[in-house]
Amino acid sequence: MEDLLRQLTPQVLGALTRRFGSFDQCEDALQEALLAAAVQWSQQGIPGNPRGWLVTAAARRLTDQLRSDSARRRREQATAGPLRSGDVQSPGPDSELSADRDDSLLLLFLCCHPSLTPASQIALTLRSVGGLTTAQIASAFLVPEATMGQRISRAKQRLKDAGATFAMPERAAWPQRLAAVLHVLYLTFNEGYTATGGPELTSAELTTEAIRLTSELHRLLPDDGEVAGLLALMLFTEARRAARVSRNGSLIPLADQDRSKWDRQQIRQGVTLISDALTRTELGRYQLQAAIAAVHDEAADAESTDWAQILGLYALLQSIEPNPVVTLNRAVALAMVRGPRAGLRLLESLDGDERIARHHRLPAVRGHLLEMDGDIEAARQAYLTAARRATSAPEKRYLQARAALLARR
Amino acid sequence: MKYLLMIYANQQTWAGFGPDDWTKAIAEQDAFNKEFFDTGELLGAFGLADAENARVVRVREGAAAVTDGPYLESKEHLASYYLLDVESEQRALEIAARMPFASFRGVEVWPVMHEAGAEM
Repeated sequence: MEDLLRQLTPQVLGALTRRFGSFDQCEDALQEALLAAAVQWSQQGIPGNPRGWLVTAAARRLTDQLRSDSARRRREQATAGPLRSGDVQSPGPDSELSADRDDSLLLLFLCCHPSLTPASQIALTLRSVGGLTTAQIASAFLVPEATMGQRISRAKQRLKDAGATFAMPERAAWPQRLAAVLHVLYLTFNEGYTATGGPELTSAELTTEAIRLTSELHRLLPDDGEVAGLLALMLFTEARRAARVSRNGSLIPLADQDRSKWDRQQIRQGVTLISDALTRTELGRYQLQAAIAAVHDEAADAESTDWAQILGLYALLQSIEPNPVVTLNRAVALAMVRGPRAGLRLLESLDGDERIARHHRLPAVRGHLLEMDGDIEAARQAYLTAARRATSAPEKRYLQARAALLARR
Repeated sequence: MKYLLMIYANQQTWAGFGPDDWTKAIAEQDAFNKEFFDTGELLGAFGLADAENARVVRVREGAAAVTDGPYLESKEHLASYYLLDVESEQRALEIAARMPFASFRGVEVWPVMHEAGAEM
């Protein structure tokens, strides 16, 4: 039943917002209707038209709310018209489906509106499009439920203050708005990139949710290469999950992972997606990152990895989206193709870049390349520096372990 | 990212404070707390009791021994701590600057370790 409610959430929210406007009030009313449904349906069973049930229940609350608001709101309601019985029955399958698609897309755009911070965009998307409860989202981000509720309320208020509407962005703004949606989905996926799991909705399940939402977006926009690219990237990354963490919880680097634990089906899905996108559409950051992940995931073992291809892809990525993280990754690929000194020289260019100069990954990669080059003591020091800078516990332990290994040599 | 803001003090820190100063200080801190609880960036605000009430527990060979007070009188102790959840270090620093104690002495800002791990 929980799955059904989550699936219906964006559909019902879309239908309500279309009819009544006032996204924030519709969202509130829907939350109440969902609570009522959870109670009633578990006692009396799922109704024949669950979607209609939710729309009616939420609409009833909304009209009550609107009636008690100012006269201006009463006039808006009169314009919209009372909810007729025909509105809650499902119209023909095709029209309902395309209306659903439009609504989900509009909801995604609304939740990722530029007036909101990324954290707010993520929370609102997970609730309104993902159908997760506030408690579930709070637990995934390790904040108290009240705090998450607060953030969502403020986000909805911000949307209202910014005059954000439930409508397709204008053509000129479309690429930017879609990029924001993709960014939110990407952030959500990365948030779930964790070593631990648990019984409630954990950060780990955020990756599943991110994949689900991105798949939906891909269904809505099958011709968009970046959407396909992002989905492929997520699948390639998720495919490695089982091999990334050892039994005692420590991180296993890509080169040492047991590839028999990789999810071949997800890899195949990713390959299909990225191969299609690369032939048809304009290159973008997600497609390139997916292509790089594909090269890794298609290699039978670490030694067979086509690093020359990866290097070329990073060079392309650097040209469309120059940033220090790309340079870091490119340095690794460069070292694999032209030797560690070449990689180390590239790293030197980052020492003055304050975006990355104090980050733990710079000395971590440096340590890796120094080790490759046989400069053991310098490598050990670099790993120790990286370990001190790390704010991720698993990464810190990994870096300390690498330093310890070198101490014994 | 989560950050811990910490205020250290001892008896000497508060030496010049009269009742009116206390009322003002508490009101300012309460206003700070409210502002950032409302934004959803402050997750918790905790004031610790005076060092007089603190204990140290040490277990040696299975036997627990409890002693009074952690440190010497002259050292500053952790007086209160605030847990933030914010987008960046910069934001954590901005919020710390808004804390009244930052204008009086200083506020320490420490990142809290998290359990998410990237592929190495």
